[in-house]
Amino acid sequence: MFKDAFSLKSLILTGAIFFVLLILPPIIPRFYTYILAVIFVTALVAMSLNMVVGHGGLFQFHHGAFYGVGAYTVALMLTKTSLPIWACFVAGPIMAALVGLLIGAFCVRLTRLYFGMLQISLGSLIWAIAFRWYSLTGGDDGMHGISMPPIISSSNGAYYFALIIMAICITVIYLIFKSPFGATLQAIRDNPDRCEAIGINVRRHQLIAIVIATFFAGIAGVLFVVVEGSVFPDLLFWVFSLEIFIMCLLGGWFTFAGPILGAAIMVSLKTFVGIYTEYWTLILGIILILLIFFLPEGVWGYILEKFGSRHKEAIEKGSK
Amino acid sequence: MLRVEKIHKSFDDFKAVNGANLTVEKGELVAVIGPNGAGKTTLFNLITGQLKADQGKVIFNEEDISSLPPYKICKRGIARSFQIANIFPRLTVFRNVQVSVLSQQEKSRKLFYPAEKLAVEETNRILESVGLSDRAGNIAGSLAHGDQRALEIAIALGNKPELLILDEPTAGMSPEETAATIELIKRLADSRELTILFCEHDMEVVFSAAQSIMVLHQGLTIIQGEPDQVRNSSQVQECYLGGAEPC
Amino acid sequence: MDIGQAFTFSALGSQFLVGLSRAMILFIVSAGMSFVLGVLRVPNIAHGSLYMIGAFSAFSLSNLLGGGSGGFWLALILAPFVVALVALVAERSLFCHLYEREHLMLLLFTFALMLILGDLVKIFWGADYRSIMAPDVLQGSVSILGAPFPRYNLFLLIVGPWVGVGLWFFSNKTKIGKIARAAAVDREMVGAIGVNVSWVFAFAFVLGCFLAGLGGALVSPMVSVSIGMDHDIIMEAFLIVTIGGLGNMWGALVGSLIFGLTQSYGVLFWPQFAIVFPYIAVVIVLTWRPRGMLKSVW
Repeated sequence: MFKDAFSLKSLILTGAIFFVLLILPPIIPRFYTYILAVIFVTALVAMSLNMVVGHGGLFQFHHGAFYGVGAYTVALMLTKTSLPIWACFVAGPIMAALVGLLIGAFCVRLTRLYFGMLQISLGSLIWAIAFRWYSLTGGDDGMHGISMPPIISSSNGAYYFALIIMAICITVIYLIFKSPFGATLQAIRDNPDRCEAIGINVRRHQLIAIVIATFFAGIAGVLFVVVEGSVFPDLLFWVFSLEIFIMCLLGGWFTFAGPILGAAIMVSLKTFVGIYTEYWTLILGIILILLIFFLPEGVWGYILEKFGSRHKEAIEKGSK
Repeated sequence: MLRVEKIHKSFDDFKAVNGANLTVEKGELVAVIGPNGAGKTTLFNLITGQLKADQGKVIFNEEDISSLPPYKICKRGIARSFQIANIFPRLTVFRNVQVSVLSQQEKSRKLFYPAEKLAVEETNRILESVGLSDRAGNIAGSLAHGDQRALEIAIALGNKPELLILDEPTAGMSPEETAATIELIKRLADSRELTILFCEHDMEVVFSAAQSIMVLHQGLTIIQGEPDQVRNSSQVQECYLGGAEPC
Repeated sequence: MDIGQAFTFSALGSQFLVGLSRAMILFIVSAGMSFVLGVLRVPNIAHGSLYMIGAFSAFSLSNLLGGGSGGFWLALILAPFVVALVALVAERSLFCHLYEREHLMLLLFTFALMLILGDLVKIFWGADYRSIMAPDVLQGSVSILGAPFPRYNLFLLIVGPWVGVGLWFFSNKTKIGKIARAAAVDREMVGAIGVNVSWVFAFAFVLGCFLAGLGGALVSPMVSVSIGMDHDIIMEAFLIVTIGGLGNMWGALVGSLIFGLTQSYGVLFWPQFAIVFPYIAVVIVLTWRPRGMLKSVW
């Protein structure tokens, strides 16, 4: 089953990248290990968002809310309860998916823009509660110094943990992408009315997609806590959600791997630009404008198009 | 098989369908004709569930389907093609049809199996029957107009319907394309034991192919009967082919 | 304030007026956003940034013009025009080229604009808090229903409705207003009868941003003028417009009243979670009426 889903070339490429990532930590400075770990976490959030936006056509404007719920759930459970670690870790995505189901059920009855706006209001409600409930969540300060078992609290440990979990999750997302469920979801993106006319219960399908996507966002939230050891209400704030949206756009939201690239670019830029100037937001705004005008297919989408057409030409030439 | 009884639909103050009646027997080729704005597409939308009637009933195989949502009506055995090519532009031609077949096979929600291995035979068969096999790998949005109309019909066929409803299947086509499409429709009716309901502007097409014709004018059924009956009916000649006054 | 005190007539009444005056600011800002939304079919995420620029401009202008009462009045009149100019520049240089593209691109452009304007304000004015003094005649408070009520809030209660009337008159009685409203409902038709749709959009956008700037200038003596203002107001305006009905000016009024009043009563009953109340109200409204309470323009 697995072999049939992957083409040999992309399998080799992915394997090579994975191998390189595996051997990096001992040879690069700790700072870069940390940054890469952050990229893994962010890439997972972006991929989970793209499942509903790029492949599903839904205006999921407040995906960060589910990411934050996953992170806060695990943080709260680790600090306030004495349940075993693995239970806390599992609770994160489950909670996120439950919230996703609840909010999704509300929103999926509505058409596009209203879907987005209702989601923003519900997500902001969660943010407001977390922001103000100082005694529980630490309010504006967030929570810090969350303890992790030693194997994953070290810089390398967190790196490997994030890498492996992310790799597993992305593989699963890929399988879903290639499955009939994924194909139908993309058809819904292209033409929801036609899907209704061919017997698909569009709302139920979208809701399932949302639950799956928010589950993965919750996993990403757990990884965030592992890598950073803390949690803040910013994760739940709508501006961050729009940033994740931009990552998908930047990478190319009609492609599969685009959001990973988008996340990598954003995190790297944010870190390195942040060293030289405090006006990262300005740079991000300019990048976004350049994207809108010149690269609406995203970086990866653009590359695929270029290589795609050359590949086709090569085949045609070769066959003549 | 299908009965539409005294159906009404208004949009704000405009009465689009005003007491239309329609009967379709199993195995028939039925046509609905009427001038522009007569309410043909609205009638079809009422049958397939995109619109809810204000009054009246739609009965299919002795079941009242008037209040069902479109996807449930489809599952009951009615498939439909649209007047404006309503396809999945970013997907390949193959995928366009495959999604429909998967829906019919109840496999749309399968999560962990590669889609390209499923429903392949059935999809290819449908593509062959409409003549799109050689373009299966193309992106649907890039097809020529005539091919998109063929794809329209192919998607509807994917549902293995009992009743196929075609909304102006030859709209915008040249005489050759029109003849080819009509041939295709007749062939499909025979080979797949389909009952077909369609609406058309092209009178030659209608009178040569249909076994039963319903005339719709300003949302009201003037008459339904065999081609000769309709052709000779004075009512029809007055309303449709001649005068501008309402009947 | 404990529950017992909260329920006195005086407290309820004065909180009502406080909520009402806050609602006036929200109304002016949301009406502008709603107008743009109605004509261009895009929510302007940068609307909050323009509001913030209005407040900062009022601050700078009033200092420039002497700093006293006279300075304030002049600043109040000029600041919205400064904002309108910024909006016009952004629109003519970049935004207008996107009108043919899909709506998501327009939305993302306004987000980019918000990011850029936010940092430009930081660069231009710095990250410190600023404050403006209200003019003498509007300082202090009057006694209403036995409780002190700031004079400036009273001023807002007067100005708000006049802005509403002005906007209504403009949309319904002037030629260009009517064209803008027609474009909101059917832009192709308007284009087909020979009107330059691009200029109609430019006009609508600039007018909407003018109102944002006006809101910012009006609110400046009441709050600390700082760089977080854009984030706070944009979310509120967004939600108000959604629950009011997209593009509907009266909807913006109703939404603003709901927001302002739930906020002010929230402060009375549960200060720690006062900011949660408007969101809950939004959820209730959208569950009951998913498309907003009043009819949307499209």
